[in-house]
Amino acid sequence: MNLLEVKNLRKVYTTRFGGTQVEALRSVSFGLEKGEYTAVMGESGAGKTTLLNILAALDRPTSGEVILGGRSLSGLKDQELAAFRRSNLGFVFQDFNLLPTFSLRDNILLPLVLAGESYREMEKRLQPLARRLGISGLLAKFPYEVSGGEQQRAAIARALITDPQLILADEPTGALDSKTSDSLLRLFGEINEAGQTILMVTHSVKAASHAKRVLFIKDGEIFHQLYRGELSVTEMYERIADTLTLLATGGDVRA
Amino acid sequence: MPKFFYPKLALSSIKRHLQLYGPYLCASTTMVSMFYMILFVAENSGLSKMRGSEVLGQLLRFGVVVVGLFAVIFLFYTNSFLVRRRKRELGLYNAFGMEKRHIARILGWETFFIALFSIAAGLGSGILFSKLMLLLLFRILEAPIPFGFEVRLEAVLITVKLFSALYLVIFAFSVWQVRSAQAVELLKAEALGEREPKARWLLALLGCVTLGAGYYIAVVVADPLVALFSFFVAVILVIIGTYLLFTTGSIALLKLLRRSKPLYYRPKPFIAISGMLHRMKQNGVGLANICILSTMVLVTISTTVSLYVGLEDVLRTRYSREIVIRLDSYEPEAVAAVQAGTEAVLSRHGLEAAEKAEYRFLSLTAFRSGERLLTEKEVEPGLTGVRTSLHFTPLEDYNRMVQEPVSLQENEVLVYSNRGIYEHSTLEFLGRSFAVKEKLASLPGDGFSRTQTFASYYVVVRDMQVLEELRRNLTETEGRSAQTSYIRGFDLDTSAEEAAAVYRDLQESLPRKDLIWVESRDEARQEFLAMYGGLFFLGLFLGTLFLLGTVLIIYYKQITEGYEDRRRFSIMQQVGMAGSEVRSAIRGQVLSVFFLPLAAAGVHIIFAFPMITKLLILFNLTNTALFAACTAVTFAVFAVFYACVYLATTKAYYRIAAA
Repeated sequence: MNLLEVKNLRKVYTTRFGGTQVEALRSVSFGLEKGEYTAVMGESGAGKTTLLNILAALDRPTSGEVILGGRSLSGLKDQELAAFRRSNLGFVFQDFNLLPTFSLRDNILLPLVLAGESYREMEKRLQPLARRLGISGLLAKFPYEVSGGEQQRAAIARALITDPQLILADEPTGALDSKTSDSLLRLFGEINEAGQTILMVTHSVKAASHAKRVLFIKDGEIFHQLYRGELSVTEMYERIADTLTLLATGGDVRA
Repeated sequence: MPKFFYPKLALSSIKRHLQLYGPYLCASTTMVSMFYMILFVAENSGLSKMRGSEVLGQLLRFGVVVVGLFAVIFLFYTNSFLVRRRKRELGLYNAFGMEKRHIARILGWETFFIALFSIAAGLGSGILFSKLMLLLLFRILEAPIPFGFEVRLEAVLITVKLFSALYLVIFAFSVWQVRSAQAVELLKAEALGEREPKARWLLALLGCVTLGAGYYIAVVVADPLVALFSFFVAVILVIIGTYLLFTTGSIALLKLLRRSKPLYYRPKPFIAISGMLHRMKQNGVGLANICILSTMVLVTISTTVSLYVGLEDVLRTRYSREIVIRLDSYEPEAVAAVQAGTEAVLSRHGLEAAEKAEYRFLSLTAFRSGERLLTEKEVEPGLTGVRTSLHFTPLEDYNRMVQEPVSLQENEVLVYSNRGIYEHSTLEFLGRSFAVKEKLASLPGDGFSRTQTFASYYVVVRDMQVLEELRRNLTETEGRSAQTSYIRGFDLDTSAEEAAAVYRDLQESLPRKDLIWVESRDEARQEFLAMYGGLFFLGLFLGTLFLLGTVLIIYYKQITEGYEDRRRFSIMQQVGMAGSEVRSAIRGQVLSVFFLPLAAAGVHIIFAFPMITKLLILFNLTNTALFAACTAVTFAVFAVFYACVYLATTKAYYRIAAA
């Protein structure tokens, strides 16, 4: 059975005054198996962020359904959604979204604190994780005191500390220089190797080329998808780039 | 460039930021209006004809200065807040290629429109309500209300000049703020990384010490005259302490709380403590401002209200009879002359004196140490005690006024004090030891205690012989003659006009004007009314003004925090906090930050209470229960008002933070 099942998602935004309707998602369906590392690609305005928000249960779809780990999100109440998000989902954002008022340690521990874990349990989980992400020495520092890459590592640690079923990453390399991006993407690979399911939304070809599977979204629909299979990262990069060119020039590569 | 480009841009940006500028406009309009009103009232011609108009005039002119100063400080403060909030927008103009001088032009037009609006609207409402203010004042002073409506051109001109100058300075200051910043800085001004505040233990400790010292002084002060001086020392210490504790003490405390891991790493404390830490760093000063302003409002209103409400009490304490005549001698011929003169005046008016009281006194200032009363010459260095005023009176005068006459042996005395019951069974004075036969709880006529400022002791001795002996001894030891006096007081059962006529007659017809003073309670009432009524009016006026200041500071604090918290709370929602949890966290935090100053103001008031009670004695108000009631009511009303402001501004906050 799939870990994540997305069925016929449709999302229509109504502008506040004019009543004009904008269809952000027309009909999106796909499934995600446990341990998969999937990238969703598309240009700005293609519906990527809307999709992510709905998957993150931060927004509700106009119609359609999201099923994670066998549970449908549409039936959950606000309170339950928060708890669900806390224990099943981890988030990594483009601009890190670390709270400036917390040290890195406190930022990472935030989801556990909200879940009401004991402090001993928090420490037990934090130490190995921080070592693995190479930020053990930075825990007492505040976000403004460390580099962007280090902030993003802390954000990843925050996403992983609850041991979630699925990591949702929104343009995780968007605010980083190329060198830091490389090391971060390698880190994502390692995390995935260790069994973590990841869904990443990006328009960076390089970021997507590290994934095992790439979904292309255009005008609110899944347009095409690529599997890496045995391809190397460089070969995957070329395949993605070709697909994007076709998409942009209007060619039909529907799978 | 199109015509009126800058004025249009300025106008539209004021409109766009109405949430920011609305309250600012309201506040500056009110400032202008209140300034005009107090100026109008202070310069009103009707007042100068009133009795006690000098005191009243001084009070009101003092009020004008306070209102003016407050307006300057306050508008400056609010404007700097506005410029800070708008730096991003101005940075954007800069980034789009507008030069700083163009930005200065926009700011100039904005200031111009704001000044125009607030001065025009302020003067309009000021003129409209000035009559109302005058009516209120005349009502308080129980004076006949004048007819007609007046606009004082002079007051209008002063107001326009003051506020135009003020806005000019404000404009210069905003331009300077923008000029000194780079475009990038302007853009990023709001998003600057927040540095974790450092705990400054030494300053926090200093805050505790100064606050404690201020409280200590306020609580232990015993003597009203000392209280007057200590009051200012205590106020300054408490203000320093409040600022230190709100800025550094709070941070130190929060850091201490954070050290306890099991306590800190729970949902509510986790969010609250870290949020408060940064909040206190930015808003410590603002909160301290609110706290001190609130305390000022409370003290001003509660004291002036109790003085005004307790006016009759005060008059009765100060003048125990309607008419009091004092003669600076008790030589029998002089006394007889006063007695005859008084009777003559009364019979001319066909009246009889009621509640007559007469005393002969030998008075001096002395130093009391336990049961010893020492003259100035006898005081040895290192002796502890209090300065008192000491009055000796013969038994026959006392017995004339009580139902059951008392008899005394040679060395026996009765003692009365206006500072509670005398504690000892003997009393030593000039080497003589007296046995205290009775400690009196009251003295008929209260000994005509002219003022309650000093601790006074009244000693009833056996007869005039003892008095004369003491007088001789005093002349020998002190080398000067002691003060003797004869006091005669009575009530009149007649109309106020008749009583006033008797008073004037007495003043004119009694001989030896250099030795005789005549006082009338009714005459005094007018002067007291002018002073206490003036204080009351000023208390209400300034209280309202300070309250307005408090409200505005609170409002802007809420708005700033709303913008800053918005991002924090959206992140928390993303990592798994329900909307309702976020809202309850917001509520908890806002509530504690909001009511902290009020709670602190309450504590300040409680500690100030003993001291203010003593100070009010200087104003002859001894009714502590009345003052307590006034304070309690003032605090309750203020708290309700504060809560209303909370509810109103919190709405604005939620709209922003939870968006």
